[in-house]
Amino acid sequence: MSLARYIIRRIILLVFLLWGATLVTFTVTNLVPGDPVAVQLGQSAMSDPEIVAAFKARYGLDRPLHEQYVMYLRNLLRGDLGRSIRTGRPVLDDLARYFPASFELATMATVVSVVAGVAAGVASAVWRGRVADSLVRVGALIGVSVPNFWLALLALYVFYFRLGWLPGPGRVSALTQLPDGTGLLLWDSVVRGDWALLKEALRHLVLPSLVLGSYTMGVIARTTRSSLLDVLGSDYIRTARAKGLGEGAVLFRHALANAMIPTITMIGLSYGNLLGGTVLVETIFAWPGIGRYAYQSTTTLDFPAIMGVTLLITAVYAVINMLVDIAYGMLDPRIRYG
Amino acid sequence: MRRRSSRWWTGIVAAVVLWAVAGAAGALAQRQVTVVGAVSADWRTMDPARAYEPYGAFILNVVYDTLVGMNPQDGSIYPKLATDWTVSADGTVYTFTLRDGVRFSTGKELTAADVAFSFRRLKNLKGNPSFLAANIKDVQAVDDKTVVITLEQPEGAFLTKLSEPTFGVVDSEAVRAQGGTDAENAAEVDSATPWLDQNSVGSGPYVLRSWVLKDQLVLERNPYYWGEPPQVDRFIFREVEDPNAQALQLLVGDVDLAFALTADQLPMLEGSRDVKVIDGPGLYIVFLLMNQNPEIGGPMANEKVRQAVRAALDYQGLAELFGAGSLTPHSFIQVGFAGALPPGRERDLDRARQLLAEAGYPNGFSVELEVPTLIVSGVDLVTAAQKVQQDLAEVGIRVTLRPGEVGVSLGRYRDGLQGFSLWYWGPDYPDPATQLAFLPGELVGLRAQWTAEHDPELHRLGQEAIVESDPQRRNELLAEIQRRTHDYGPWAIMLQMGRMTGARSNIDAAFHPRYGVDLTTVVKH
Repeated sequence: MSLARYIIRRIILLVFLLWGATLVTFTVTNLVPGDPVAVQLGQSAMSDPEIVAAFKARYGLDRPLHEQYVMYLRNLLRGDLGRSIRTGRPVLDDLARYFPASFELATMATVVSVVAGVAAGVASAVWRGRVADSLVRVGALIGVSVPNFWLALLALYVFYFRLGWLPGPGRVSALTQLPDGTGLLLWDSVVRGDWALLKEALRHLVLPSLVLGSYTMGVIARTTRSSLLDVLGSDYIRTARAKGLGEGAVLFRHALANAMIPTITMIGLSYGNLLGGTVLVETIFAWPGIGRYAYQSTTTLDFPAIMGVTLLITAVYAVINMLVDIAYGMLDPRIRYG
Repeated sequence: MRRRSSRWWTGIVAAVVLWAVAGAAGALAQRQVTVVGAVSADWRTMDPARAYEPYGAFILNVVYDTLVGMNPQDGSIYPKLATDWTVSADGTVYTFTLRDGVRFSTGKELTAADVAFSFRRLKNLKGNPSFLAANIKDVQAVDDKTVVITLEQPEGAFLTKLSEPTFGVVDSEAVRAQGGTDAENAAEVDSATPWLDQNSVGSGPYVLRSWVLKDQLVLERNPYYWGEPPQVDRFIFREVEDPNAQALQLLVGDVDLAFALTADQLPMLEGSRDVKVIDGPGLYIVFLLMNQNPEIGGPMANEKVRQAVRAALDYQGLAELFGAGSLTPHSFIQVGFAGALPPGRERDLDRARQLLAEAGYPNGFSVELEVPTLIVSGVDLVTAAQKVQQDLAEVGIRVTLRPGEVGVSLGRYRDGLQGFSLWYWGPDYPDPATQLAFLPGELVGLRAQWTAEHDPELHRLGQEAIVESDPQRRNELLAEIQRRTHDYGPWAIMLQMGRMTGARSNIDAAFHPRYGVDLTTVVKH
């Protein structure tokens, strides 16, 4: 099957996936005990039936469930994700506002963890049994085991408070004006040639990316290490060495590409995780992202927002994994689509 | 060589001079005083007629003016937009005379028509805070400077309600231009709220410059403000939810004020000379409920047992647990509310044991204490319950804790099914009238199954206090109520929670029980 047809097939699957996501989310959020009306209105407001009725009417909560679901789907097809009960704004606006921050953070965290993780994994495999190997293995273990909120506070304490090397919570400092644009600061600043903003955005990204990427870094280092060790022991590598190729060529031209396949899988899975699971890091670093938004929507039973976030993350996850699958084909010509 | 070095030196001197001049010019240009605050706010909207979050009033208070203000130290009322007012003999008609020369941030002059519009809109929007206007029958702008408000029933708390930012006066022209209305069907057709979330049209000392939800809010000085201009030109509020992150930012100096600190952060701040804590008693009270119904409360329904519980609690220890500014009120009316009696309660273990013996429990008894798993201002209520458990153990009451999810506990609590439980209470507005809910036959009283029949006299006193419009007479009634309930009834008021704000040492600000600090008093040196 050609690449184009593969992609089309995946996109069609994506649509079904999204539809399934709306169904599951809708069912689950309505099964959970709890009343969004009670959550949003104060005690005195709740005892006034007129206020309660007005609130329910505003958010369509006075219709039967299946009608609510159909209404939701119909609006969805028109691009209207409804209005958040908690913020009172269109969910689409909320997502557009908060997604870029998380996207930037998750991408940076992935890049950092891939670069550092792969380098560490390679070093660990090549110098197996030596000091570098032990260091990497211990480091990876710490990255995987230490809870990231603790690491976040520790990082802030050491690098922000004690050493003053890096800035504190927030995407930029209090006095900086954010430009209108995509919301992706790195992109917006480069496009405008605003190097001061770029520098500031990067500096603020360092700590949260490292903290967020610590788990993935550990996993990637370990996966790369074991996968590379595996590959380095195979026949064709022995042949390459026998042919007289230097270790560098053996490693980078022959071994690495094949060793990377499990790692690429990891990257795909963890990217989706990073995107959705950033709530603790976002809270501590005052990062106005989708993780915090999702958490707050869930605890306040804000149905439209919950649906919106679920759809967004499902879509991103599916797209990332599609890209990962395509990457396989590029890495290993034996893999055919379909 | 010498020639080169003298040119070199000239260059250096010139550079230094230029740098000094630039610095001085910069300093002159930057005369604008900016204060940065870290908040963890629940702001949903900046429309005063719709906002009803505990943290919401904080901003609205300095952007919109109300007819009267309330002194948080003692609940007394002082003039603001209204310079004078009279109340009719039957307490249902209030006539206000407006101040001259007040202008909105839009430049338009404030008249009685704006007041009438704002109040009617509040009522007709049927939003969360509209219940505050439920007792208002009619609002009339008799002329440009006179407003007449007619109530359905006389109400002692009315002026306090009017001091709430919910009753902030908006520029009616500006709001109408954005789709706002005060008509009967405002709930369906008013569309001004999204605009008001980004633009303020008040007469207060500050103007809303920008607001990105859950990120940052900026206030700037209102050039048309009628009162004493504050020192700070600009406030920037950043959302930093984690109290530890807030403390670190305060210590480093990236923020000047930190509003969401808890007792946990105090040790971090104590060591530093660059920061200080501004604290005092807040608005929340934490209390124990002891059900009046013997079938549900068991031994807790016995008045002597309750007195024993009240005598056995370690009030000082509890106040320490909840942090700076906490204290023990006389009864269920918070210090700072009109008519509140002076605080203070003593622990008396001997008396507690004696009371228990008199009640028929010389060897104590076992009981379950229900507590919701909630964290209020950084303190876990379950931890507070553990303290209660320890305290009561010293007199022989063996308490077993039963923590529960709020969603579940709340139902049992509201239905009056809890025998012995721990809760906290936040008033809807800072007036004793909201606290009278603890009386027999009232909202909270009924949760302990304390009905009006159990104490008709006390119930009647409460009803009188609610409608009494004369402040002095009302304070007398409230004092009587507090004296009677000091050591009687199904409540053990554990403490009034403190409120604390972290500040850099070069910041002066007056404590405020609700907002942390009064923004209009902030001075940056």
